[in-house]
Amino acid sequence: MSYLSEGYSLRSWLTTHDHKRIGVLYMVAITAFFFLGGAAAALMRLELATPAGDVVSAETYNKLFTIHGVIMVWFFLIPSIPSVLGNFLVPLMIGARDMAFPRLNLASWYIYVLGGLFTVAALVAGGVDTGWTFYTPYSTTFSDTNVILVIVGVFVTGFSSILTGLNIVVTVHKLRAPGLTWFRLPLFVWANYATSLILLLATPVLAMTLALVALERLFHIGIFDPALGGDPLLFQHLFWFYSHPAVYIMVLPAMGVASEIIPCFARRPVFGYRFMAYAILGIASLGFLVWGHHMFVSGQSMYAGIVFSMLSFLVAIPSAIKVFNWTATLYKGSIVFGAPMLYALGFVGLFTIGGLTGLFLASLALDVHLTDTYFVIAHFHYIMVGGSVMAYLGGIHFWWPKICGRMYPEMLGRIAALTIFFGFNLTFFPQYLLGWLGMPRRYHEYPPEFQLLNLFSSAGAAVLAVGYFLPLAYLGWSLFFGKTASSNPWQATGLEWQTASPPPQHNFEQEPSVERGPYQYSVRSNEYGSQVR
Amino acid sequence: MSTAARSDNALFGMWAFLATEVLFFGPLFFGYVHARLAQPDAFVSGSHHMHIVLGTLNTAILMTSSLTMALAVGAARKGGPPGRWLGLTALFGLVFLGIKAAEWVMEFGEAAGAAGGEARFYFLYYAMTGLHAVHLVIGLGVVAWLWRHAKRFDAAYHTPVEAGGLYWHFVDVVWLFLYPMFYLLERYSA
Amino acid sequence: MTYVLTWLALMALLALTFGSSYLPMGAWNSVANMAISCAKALLIAVFFMHLRQAGALLRLAACIGLLWLALLFGLSWTDFGTRTSSPAPWSSR
Repeated sequence: MSYLSEGYSLRSWLTTHDHKRIGVLYMVAITAFFFLGGAAAALMRLELATPAGDVVSAETYNKLFTIHGVIMVWFFLIPSIPSVLGNFLVPLMIGARDMAFPRLNLASWYIYVLGGLFTVAALVAGGVDTGWTFYTPYSTTFSDTNVILVIVGVFVTGFSSILTGLNIVVTVHKLRAPGLTWFRLPLFVWANYATSLILLLATPVLAMTLALVALERLFHIGIFDPALGGDPLLFQHLFWFYSHPAVYIMVLPAMGVASEIIPCFARRPVFGYRFMAYAILGIASLGFLVWGHHMFVSGQSMYAGIVFSMLSFLVAIPSAIKVFNWTATLYKGSIVFGAPMLYALGFVGLFTIGGLTGLFLASLALDVHLTDTYFVIAHFHYIMVGGSVMAYLGGIHFWWPKICGRMYPEMLGRIAALTIFFGFNLTFFPQYLLGWLGMPRRYHEYPPEFQLLNLFSSAGAAVLAVGYFLPLAYLGWSLFFGKTASSNPWQATGLEWQTASPPPQHNFEQEPSVERGPYQYSVRSNEYGSQVR
Repeated sequence: MSTAARSDNALFGMWAFLATEVLFFGPLFFGYVHARLAQPDAFVSGSHHMHIVLGTLNTAILMTSSLTMALAVGAARKGGPPGRWLGLTALFGLVFLGIKAAEWVMEFGEAAGAAGGEARFYFLYYAMTGLHAVHLVIGLGVVAWLWRHAKRFDAAYHTPVEAGGLYWHFVDVVWLFLYPMFYLLERYSA
Repeated sequence: MTYVLTWLALMALLALTFGSSYLPMGAWNSVANMAISCAKALLIAVFFMHLRQAGALLRLAACIGLLWLALLFGLSWTDFGTRTSSPAPWSSR
């Protein structure tokens, strides 16, 4: 009896304590937000296909990029891997029956939905035009849009993040099966653990910072207003103290997914496991020390700029170690280009490009030219979309049989992955060039000499949209008509594959006893060692 | 899972949550430091308008409530019902809130008319002591719940009392920093 | 009992912080008050919150919030502490 058949009513889903069902609840919710945020992006790319600002007004365009950012960052990317795949897989991967605090887990989903409702309400009430970054004093004094409503939405959802992080941290520390020492953990668990530390330490700062924006909007005391003795950079330091680590919340779990898929589809253990684990912790901690690189031209002192620039270069090192190790894992492997592998390889390549362009931006002098241009937009979309979204999709495909007991159609999976890869690059590579040539971000119109590159970008967006709709269609189809999956269709080594697909409610018939580390793959694909026995 | 293991998990979870609370209050402390360094005289002036006797009394009351809370946990650990101590804790907490509310009302007139740096002093005062009070109210809710279910707890199982205690002590510790920040600025020249 | 002794120490420290604020020590008043508050917090953490008996994990969890705030304050200081002000001629400051 699988966890899916423990009750078919809506009520059984909405009152569940089962981490697997909660993961699925999150999956449904974030998918809805993904397409909402994507719709905003589609309108933006439609506008930007021609130089004239003729599809929407400047004010509407401001609202579009704001809601795109707010939804994609807080309602899709941040919860995507940790709250969907993390919730589903972490207890399975460590041999536990559930998370440490199952009821808090369900509460976190409800809190997420509540926050989402406030945000949608803000959208329906006419939107917000401050950008997802809410810079003061525009957000506190001059904007006349529904700032407080959106802030309430993000504030509430922040607690969902905190609870998810709390659950994962306690679960990984306390609920590991006998024999499962820290250095026998799959890297996906390490990645979600480090991410959860960031969730716990960074999110509360965002919550209070946004609360201060709301209070300033209501009472006009002047904490962020220079005319009244305040300082707008106070806001920026506080905001980016959270928002930089936030990008590691978005990318670390993606790295965890890649580290599960690549060894499996190359039939080789991960190269340099310990370095991979240390690199994850290094990224999580160093990520807290670099936030000022978002403020190089804001009026921050030159000295601070130098310090933050240096620290930003440092954080590239553990990321680079990971890229080298994934590559080394492939060397002399027996590679199968299944859909999850296409996503994972795409992740590694696109993350590398995005990461390297981060070094451009971390260089003070270059940043003066590149900041607030499309170069920045291309940089973070390469990492968050080319990286995180592709890894998320790769993970969904890899663990689809485990989640619902069905196989997705492999040929369509590969076609979708390639479509997304092609569409993504067509959309975002031209944006590097546009930024380099000087096109600023957040404008709904631009000088005619930028049109050709913008046209390529908008065309790419259309291809990308098709690519994203494909999995929605065939994954949905597979729920009813897909081939039934065995417990371990990929011949993978993790604990989650030692139980049925889909698993029973309490995950394992018997508590597993772990005797080996992860990734005991051999190039002869019928030989592989699971962590038990 | 054994009761002891579950208890360990819950207490670890509570400490991790308290870490997030430190970071939640953090930006307000950050704003305070920034504002005070920018306009120190305004802050001294604001502090002189605070009711030092009431503030000091309140600090003593809250610390005493921490004692009674610790005694409640101690009693629960020994198997005795912690109800009496929990009741006292709640009482002290309520007295604190009463005095705090009285202070807020008395200071409001001054606060509403303030400008510039003094306005920021009062804003931070109301925001920080207000946020603290919200946490205290939640703590009172927790203590009230524990008091109502006091009979459930014995030497073998008293995790909610321990966890509630941790939260209560945290709320006390926050106040111990707020008190000098708002009440004790250059008292010698008041 | 330990709890009562801790409470007495807390009260003594309260008297100290209250009393010392009447001594004109300039910036050192704030330093003293901060130190006393930290001492009180430590007493509460160690004795009331039982960190004395707790393992390394709980002690780490207890410190990490403050450590992280120190990062926020410290690195922000590289900006706030090193700004040079160039007021416009018409500016009041």
